Order: sequence, then C-alpha cells, then structure tokens
Amino acid sequence: MKNQRKIVKRKLNNTLTENNVKKEEPDNDPTKSIFEEESDSGAEDLLSTEVNNNDESSDEEVNENEDVPVSDTEQDQIVFESDDEENDLSFETDSNDLDENLEKKSENSDTPTTSKDNKCEKVKRNESSKTNINIKNTSDTLQSKKQNVEKSKRRDTKNNTESNINNENNDKIIADQQVDEYEYDSSDEEDIRNTVGNIPMKWYDEYDHIGYNWDGKKIIKPQKGDQLDNFLKRMEDPDFWRTIKDPQTGQDVVLSEADIDLITRIQKRKIPDVTFDEYGPWIEWFTSEVMKTPLRKFPEHKRSFLPSKPEARKISKLVHALKMGWIKSTEELKKEREQKTNEPQFYMLWQSDDQAEEMRRIHKHIPAPKRHLPGHAESYNPPPEYLFDNKELKEWNKLQTTPWKRKLHFIPQKYNSLREVPAYPKYIKERFQRCLDLYLCPRALKMRLTIEPEALVPQLPSPKDLQPFPTTMSMVFKGHADMVRSIAAEPMGQYIASGGDDMNLKIWEIATGRCIKTIPCGGIIRSVAWCPNQSLSLIAVAAEKKVLLINPGVGDHLITDKTNHLLEIIPQSDVIVSERVKTAVQWEQAEGDYWTNGIRIILNHFKIVKQVIWHGKGDYFATVMPDGQNRSVLINQLSKRRSQLPFTRSKGLIQCVLFHPIRPYLFVATQRNVRIYDLIKQEMIKKLLSNSQWISSMAIHPGGDNILVGTYDRKMLWFDLDLSTKPYQTLRLHGTGVRGVAFHKRYPLFASGADDRSLIVSHGMVYNDLLQNALIVPLKRLCNHESYNDFGILDVMFHPIQPWVFSAGADSTIRMYT
Amino acid sequence: MASATINNSAPQVQIKFLTKQEQYAVPDFPLSVHTSIVPNELNTLVNELLKESTDVKNNIEFDFLVCSQFLRTSLNEHILERNISTEEIIIVEYVEKYPPPEPQDCLIHDDWVSAVAVREKWILTGCYDNTLHIWTSKGKHHLVIPGHTSPIKAVVWISLTSDMATFVSASQDQTAIIWDWNIIKNSVDCIHVCRGHERGLEAVNVNYDKTVMATGGWDTMLKIWSTANHDENENGESASKRLKSEHGKTRIPKRTMKGHKEAISGIVWSDKTEIITSSWDHTIKIWDSELGGIKHELAGNKSFFDLDYSTLNRTVITASADRHIRLYDPRSTEGTLVKTIFTSHTQWVQSVRWSPVDENLFISGAYDNEMKLWDTRSPKAPLFDLSGHEDKVLCCNWSNPKFMVSGGADNTVRIFKSKHIVR
Repeated sequence: MKNQRKIVKRKLNNTLTENNVKKEEPDNDPTKSIFEEESDSGAEDLLSTEVNNNDESSDEEVNENEDVPVSDTEQDQIVFESDDEENDLSFETDSNDLDENLEKKSENSDTPTTSKDNKCEKVKRNESSKTNINIKNTSDTLQSKKQNVEKSKRRDTKNNTESNINNENNDKIIADQQVDEYEYDSSDEEDIRNTVGNIPMKWYDEYDHIGYNWDGKKIIKPQKGDQLDNFLKRMEDPDFWRTIKDPQTGQDVVLSEADIDLITRIQKRKIPDVTFDEYGPWIEWFTSEVMKTPLRKFPEHKRSFLPSKPEARKISKLVHALKMGWIKSTEELKKEREQKTNEPQFYMLWQSDDQAEEMRRIHKHIPAPKRHLPGHAESYNPPPEYLFDNKELKEWNKLQTTPWKRKLHFIPQKYNSLREVPAYPKYIKERFQRCLDLYLCPRALKMRLTIEPEALVPQLPSPKDLQPFPTTMSMVFKGHADMVRSIAAEPMGQYIASGGDDMNLKIWEIATGRCIKTIPCGGIIRSVAWCPNQSLSLIAVAAEKKVLLINPGVGDHLITDKTNHLLEIIPQSDVIVSERVKTAVQWEQAEGDYWTNGIRIILNHFKIVKQVIWHGKGDYFATVMPDGQNRSVLINQLSKRRSQLPFTRSKGLIQCVLFHPIRPYLFVATQRNVRIYDLIKQEMIKKLLSNSQWISSMAIHPGGDNILVGTYDRKMLWFDLDLSTKPYQTLRLHGTGVRGVAFHKRYPLFASGADDRSLIVSHGMVYNDLLQNALIVPLKRLCNHESYNDFGILDVMFHPIQPWVFSAGADSTIRMYT
Repeated sequence: MASATINNSAPQVQIKFLTKQEQYAVPDFPLSVHTSIVPNELNTLVNELLKESTDVKNNIEFDFLVCSQFLRTSLNEHILERNISTEEIIIVEYVEKYPPPEPQDCLIHDDWVSAVAVREKWILTGCYDNTLHIWTSKGKHHLVIPGHTSPIKAVVWISLTSDMATFVSASQDQTAIIWDWNIIKNSVDCIHVCRGHERGLEAVNVNYDKTVMATGGWDTMLKIWSTANHDENENGESASKRLKSEHGKTRIPKRTMKGHKEAISGIVWSDKTEIITSSWDHTIKIWDSELGGIKHELAGNKSFFDLDYSTLNRTVITASADRHIRLYDPRSTEGTLVKTIFTSHTQWVQSVRWSPVDENLFISGAYDNEMKLWDTRSPKAPLFDLSGHEDKVLCCNWSNPKFMVSGGADNTVRIFKSKHIVR
C-alpha cells in the first residue's frame, strides 16, 4: 500500500510542480529563476524528475528525519493529502472554482482523520504524535497543504540544484543540506516509471510494451522513429544533442543544464559536485600523534615476570652435561682441536674387526633359543599314560650309552603331592649344559625364503573368461573307409574337404555333416588344401606322387563354372623349363574320367608328395617331397602352370613348408630346425632352433609373427619371431607325438592333435603391443577319437569363421567340436 | 487339511488353487500343505477337491504352475529356487496336462529330409536328393517333384485351395522355385525360378498375405520376391514378356538387403513388412521389407540355425550351435536379453517351431535324434520327447495344430498327432 501511495504521490508531484511553481512565483525569487528555466518545457521537467527520481524518494526520508516525532504519520498524511489534491487539481483545472475547492478541502480534512484512525490501529506506538497531527490537520489544512506543495516543489528544485532556499521552510532546508550528504544517495530506489522491476531491459526487446500499468494494461513503448525521423529531429530539434533515451522506459530524455554540467565536469575529471571544496581545511580523523599513555590499560600477567620452568629444566640439563663432560663448551672444543693437531695421530689397526662384531651383537641381536616348556611328562603327577611301562623302561635303559637318542631324558615319575617331590639331581648338570649351549653354539640368522609353489606358476586367466572355444563334440563326419590324413575348409565355412588312405576326396557340408561329394584320387591322400582365393573353386590334393587340382563344384555356380573355364585354357609360355624342374614335376591337363570327376590339373611329381599348401593369394602353391633331397620343395604357379625349385642344396629331410600370411616369406621345416627364407631377396632370414628330434607340423599365427611347431617328441613349440630363434614357450601337453597344429584365423585359439587321440584347444592371444608377450592358456582336452594302429589324430583344422575345430582321425572319422 | 497329518515336523505353507479352466474350478480357500509336496500329491489333492465340489468324477491329470513356471520338483525346492517367501499364500495354478502326442505315421523317403511344410492335410517335404514330395497326413504319397539340382533346404506353402496350390522351395542350387500344383490333375508346374542368390539358399518364408516372400542363404543376402503368379507387378506387360522371352520363367528379386556377415539360416515374417532373420554371424536382425533396412539387431554368442516367431506371444525362439533353445523378445530395446533358455537336447538344435494355437507350446528338432515338445513355462524339461528318428532331425513343422511333423537324416518324416485341448 505504502509503495503504491508513494508512486501515486510522485506522479502527482511531477504533474503538479508546474502549476504550483507558477502560483508561488511572486513569493519565491531564487526558485523562480530555476523554475523558469525548467518550465520551458513541461516534459523536460518531468523527465528531470524521472531521471533523478531516486533522489526524490530519498527526499521523503529526509522529511521523515526532519521531524522525527511525526515521521511516519506525516508521510501518510502527505499521501492522503496528495491524493486529495489530485482531485483538487482536477477541479482547479476544470473549473477553477475556489469555493468548491475549499469545500472539498474541508471534506478532505475529514477523510484524513478517518484514514488516520485506521492507521492508528495499525501503529499504536505513535499515539501521541498522531493526535498531534490530527489537531494540526483539522486546524489548518490549508496551510499544511501549502507546505506540502512547497515540499514537493522543494524536491524538484533539490533535484536540479541544492542551493534553492524555501522561504517558509528555511531552517528545514538548511538542515536538509547538512544531512543530505548521507541521504542523497539511495540508488536502490527504483525508477517510478520502471514498471517491470529490476530486470535486464533487453527481455522486453521483442515486445512492443514495457511492463504494465495499474490497471494491468500494457504500457506501450513510445514510437521509435526510423533513421529519417532521427535525422529530421537532429536537424530541427535544438535540444537533440542533449536528448538521450532512457533504456528503462524508452522515453527520450532531454538532459538538463545541471546534468550536462555534471557530465562535463566528469569528462574534465573534476569532482562532479560543484559545491565540493577541494581545497578545504584538512581534518585529521585519525590522529598521527603518539600518545603518552596507551589506550590499553590493564596490568601485565604474572607469568611475564616469572622465569620459565621448562627453560630452567633445559638449562639444568645442559649444565649437568657440561659438568659430566658429555658436551663440551666451544672453548674446550677449540682447545681439543688444537691439541689434536699438535699431537701425533694413531689409529687402531684392528679396530674395525672386533668393533663390527660388537655392533652386530647390538644391532642384530639374536635371542637365545627358548627352552621347551615342560609337558605332562615333566609333571610331578603325570597322567598314567605318560608313566613308563616295562617295555618303555627297558628301551630307555637300553639307550644308556647313547642318551641323546632317548625320547625323554628322564623317567616320568608320579608323586602323590608336590611335597613328596625330591630335589632334581640333574639340575646343576642341565644348567651347565644350557650355558654351554648358549656359549658355544654359534647363533646366526637363518634366511629362509617362503615361496609357495603356486607363486612360481604364472597367473593364467580362467578358461571360463576365454570363451568362446570348442568344448563339445557336435558332429561326426563318417564316410571314409580308412584313416583320414588331411582336412581343409572352404574359405566361406560351408564345406570341408578331407582325404586319406581310402584314396577318396570327400566334400562335406559342415552344418549337417552330409557328404556332398566323393572324388576318387587314385592314391593315398596325404594333404588337402582349399584354395584361399574366393573367386576360384579349387582344392589341391596330394595323392601319392600326384598333386591334383580339383574343382569340387560346390558353392557359387558362377565361380565353379569360371574356374572350369579358366583351367581349360593352357597358358603358353616361352620360358624354357630347366631339366632339373622338368624331371621333378610335369603339369598335365586332366581329361576324360578325371575331368568329369572334377579333377582339372594333375602335377606328376617324381617322389611321394607329403604336403601341398597354398599361398594366401591363391596363385602359388608349394609341394613338399621329403625324399626329394635337394628338390624336395617345389613352388608352383597356377596361372602360368610353372614350377620352380627354390633350393639347390638340401639342408636335411624337409618335413613341411609354410607361407607367411603377409610377407613373401617361406618357412621350411627340416627335422630339427625351421628356416625362414625371403622369396624375393632369395636369402635365408632366420633359423629357428627347435631343440627337438623331429618336427611334424607347423602353423602360423594370422598376424605372421608367431609360429607353432609340433614335434613327434611330444612337444609343441611356440616361436615368437620378434623374440629369438629359440622357442618362446614349449608346451608339453600331449602324451605322444604331435601330428597337427592349427591356428584360428579370427579367434585367439590354437589346437593340436596327437597320436594319444586327444585334441587340445588352447588360448593363444597375441597382443599388438610389442612389449607384451603372447598369452598361452591350455583350455580343453577333447578326446573322442578312437585309436587305430597307434594313430590318433592326424590333422587339425579350425573353421575359418566360427570358433569350431575339426580333427581328422585314424578311426576314419572327422569330428567337429563347438 | 488332507495332507497335513503326514509329517508334522515338515514346515507348512499355505497354498491356494487357481485355474483358468472353469470346468475344473475348486473353491479358492487357502490350504495348508507341507512344503515337500510333489506335483503328484497336488494332483490327487485337486482331484479330491474336484470330486467334493463338482460333478467331475474321473481323475484328471493336471500340471501345476507356481510363479508361472511348471512345478517339476517338490514345492519346497521350487520356491527356494525362486526366493518366494513361505509366509505368504502361494498361488498354485493348475492346468490340465497336455495330452501326449501320439506317433501317427512315418513317411519314408529316398534321402535326408531337410525341409517339411504342412498345410491342412498336405505335407510337403524337400529332400537331399533334389526332389520335393507331397504326402497326405494319412501317409499317402501323392507326388514327386524333381526340378532342383541341389538339395532342397526349405519349403513353404503359399496358397492352397481345394483344387490348386502354390508353394515355394529353396535349394542349394541358388534358386527358389515357385510351383503350381493342380490337385485334381495331380500335376505340378514350375511357375517361376527365382534367381539372384550367389550361393545356396537356406531359408524361405512367405508373408501373411502371401504376396511377398523372403529368401536368404550363404551369400548373406536377404532377397524379397513377389509370389504373384504372373509378372505384372513391374514394368507392365511388355517388360514381363520380354523377360519371359529372355529368361523363361526366371524371376528377379524385388529387393536385396545386405547386412548379415554370414549365412542367413532362418527367416520369419513378424508383421506385414517386418522380417526377422537369424544368421550364422551370431545375430538376429529385424528388417523392414518396405524401407529396406535393418530396424533392430539382437546379438547372440553362437551361430543361429533357425528361429520362429509367434504371433500369439510376439516372441522369438531360436536354435543355435549349441544344445540350448533361447527365447528372445524382439521388441525389447534394453540390450539383447535372452528371456529364457530351454535346455534338454544333447546336441545342436536344428529347428524350432511355435504352436500355431497355443502361445506357450513349441517343438524343436535336434541332432540328438529327438523332437521335443516344450512349454515356455518349463525351461528345464520338455513336456514330451517325441522320439522315433534314428538319425539327426533336420526340420520340423507344426503349422497344422493337429500334426507335429519332423524330417530327419534317417530319410523319414515322422508325424505326431497332437490332441489339442481347447482352453
């Protein structure tokens, strides 16, 4: 309520000033001049009040402070009166009828009293003052009104300059001037025209109004002229240069002379207040003079007079030490030093020897061994089972000559009471012996290592965490009539091919275990390899002395047809094949029955071919004839139908060869060693020493840096090519010779099969980080094959995609584990 | 009550019987029984109650459900396993036991039967000797259809009227053939050869309104084909004529969708345009056949061999490269949670099919020569083992609620008659 009234009053004041000023003109000269200036334009005056409205509000406070006893009430009074005045004013302006006006005023004199009564209920403390005012009001309302008008006027004048003096309230104004130093600045009072509160005005940027008026209607922003308007205004309006926009109301404000004066003073870096005397006398608020008596005036504490006790204690200690000669005064020390320099120097030649012993006894004291605590046998009244029977007694007596062999060095004896126990006859002797023990037995600290055997075993992860890996047998591929020696999987993983002693190549469907095709090969099949090139449908089969390239006719028809077409064409080449190669191998185009069976090309070798293996790209394949001496390895190129003999000298009985998956390397395993050759540079890179008697098989990790070698002497060797030429790890998992090893292409798995019929699946994780060695964890032993002629598993192979493993057994079955 | 006197020291629990079969309703006051009670005892108890309250006179075999799982062990073990408080009244729901299916017939083929489909009384089978066979459910052989050049992996009926039928067969020879069968004349016609796959087909399925079919195979592609008899769907008459003149009956796919990394092993339509596929690459993918993209993917950790979707409970069961059958909810978005695992087979499960009428029942065929009938509420043991096959079961079918049919590597198709209870 109060606030609202205030605002209303202020508005009134603003509107009223002009009229009032005009009325007062004859009375008031100094004000007049000012008001004349201001009254040039009513708006300007209005604006000036707006600009300085903060000051105005503080004025009220000044008023309140001026007449302390009537502070609150008077303010209220003013409000009510001004409320009335609004009415008055309207009357005045409309009719200018004084009588009516007077009547109205007399009415008004009543209204404040009634409202006062209400107020008086609210504020009971100011009872007396209120009555006072009531009287005042009733007695001379007109006068008070006049005063009031003048007050409001004064506010305005004060806004502009502080030097105006009102006739009637002269003394008050003087008081005002004295106090206003504190009262003037009340920046927390808001602009009365600011109807939106203390918020950033940019929030209203998008709207065409600023806040709301009393009736809750929007206050529309004043029209903003466009640039042309601005220009015109600039040209026409003489006050344009001093017109600024009030951001809170959007109104144009013409700065008054005083404001401009203020601004210019600030710009000139003068003190903005004109009245401030820069060169006034200096008042020293905080004196620099030193006073003779301190301001603090209480006696010192008693302990400040008494000597400190801990200090005395410390000093007495030092004095004692000096007396005893434990510490020396600087003079004494100086003297000693001089003496030393003068005297000849000696040292103990053997000092360190016995000194060390002394120190050892002090620092590394070894306590004497503890004596055993007496047991039940030592008791004066032992339980009967501790007493010797005849047999025990006889035995005890028998060891008379060798008493240290006795279990007890005394005969337990029973007494009815402690009183009856005689003196112990051996007491002196035993004490003496104990002393001897302590003196004569050298005591030494025994450094004992406490290593649990488990601590020596490396920490391996649990197989459960290393899934997936094959765990159960899921399929048995039955159909071969004799040992299955070799298996190979189709790159897509739909089919496998197998061959063995029954001279037939069989193609199987993995998902169902169905034998799709059987191709007779006319010889014991020792090796089968599916061409890794997916645009060819081709299997290389080593059957006795022949290597057959067979199109199995499974998979994409287009590819099988294309392969057939491709292999029908015999490429012509001018290269003269050397005699050495010619006698080793001849290429032959299959015809007739062979062709219908799917055999496309036959390579006739001069010795039994034990192994055939494809290069990763599927154009080259290598064949191995262990009995071929210096012609035991052949590298054949399918596209040119050409063979090469890479080695001229035999390094030993070659067991198997292997292509590096990425680089042009060839791994050649003789009986004991594995040699790595660079096929492009035609040189040996490395020789891996297996330290075993007979290598059987080899597999390479798809990363190309790790090789697994199986040997007939029951070992599996893991070579890390980055580490050394010796095996990184030797795995002795099988009971008999290892026949086949294999790596999985995608999963970190490897498997090995041996004659003990067991297939062992292991986790072989190779890390990209060169600092971390491969992790090898044996996972599962799968033992489902049956033994046949002491043979167990002959070949091992992983599914190219799934974590499934296949084993070819001597029991003429192939088993799949998933 | 009745059994309370048997063992006083055994702890007692309060149970309340509940059933959804109104003819077997018993009064629902709580009974106090000892916790070691087994389903047999409960059965006698319910039968006693039935005789007291209703006019049901003959003994009926019931199955009991506690916490929506079949009670197979003693009540005590069952509730301990599920952490149910014995303080509260345990609600025991009972349903009439599913009657054991009876072996009805054995259809002997010349080679492995790798695909079977039933529609009304007709049984269509696909063989590894590249032929299709049509049998009646009575076991009468109607027709041998040669035509494919490789083993047939999947067959599906498209339409069947009293005198005409259409069906499709998918084979490893990279084609699917749509056949027209004139029942009266007993003659079959190859209408369309669907060419487009680059490797053998594994699965085929037709959508609900039988206008579109989807095939998948080892070339990892999912292809959508029209099943319409005449090629008028695209390019108008002239184009189809031209096509016919060039390729004969060849049909090309409407849409090819790529996404699987390995062979697609199972296809099922779950909605008008939604296809669910299972693959060897350990994933189940849900596709939109209209927009041609993957909507959702469920990842397993084994290769999937088959799946089936039930419109009744909107879940998917899968067979994968182990002995478990897994139940997935394809709509669930929070990861791929296996809802239930059904374990009883000892070898790879090759084929699973939902019951067309009961939301809880399904059958499965596995390489352990067994077909099993399952209830989703009993994950540890099947309802019945349908033995008979002497070699791997390769396929099964339950499209006709009366017949559970399975084909196997012993060259036979076995038909089990299911006595369906109307619930």
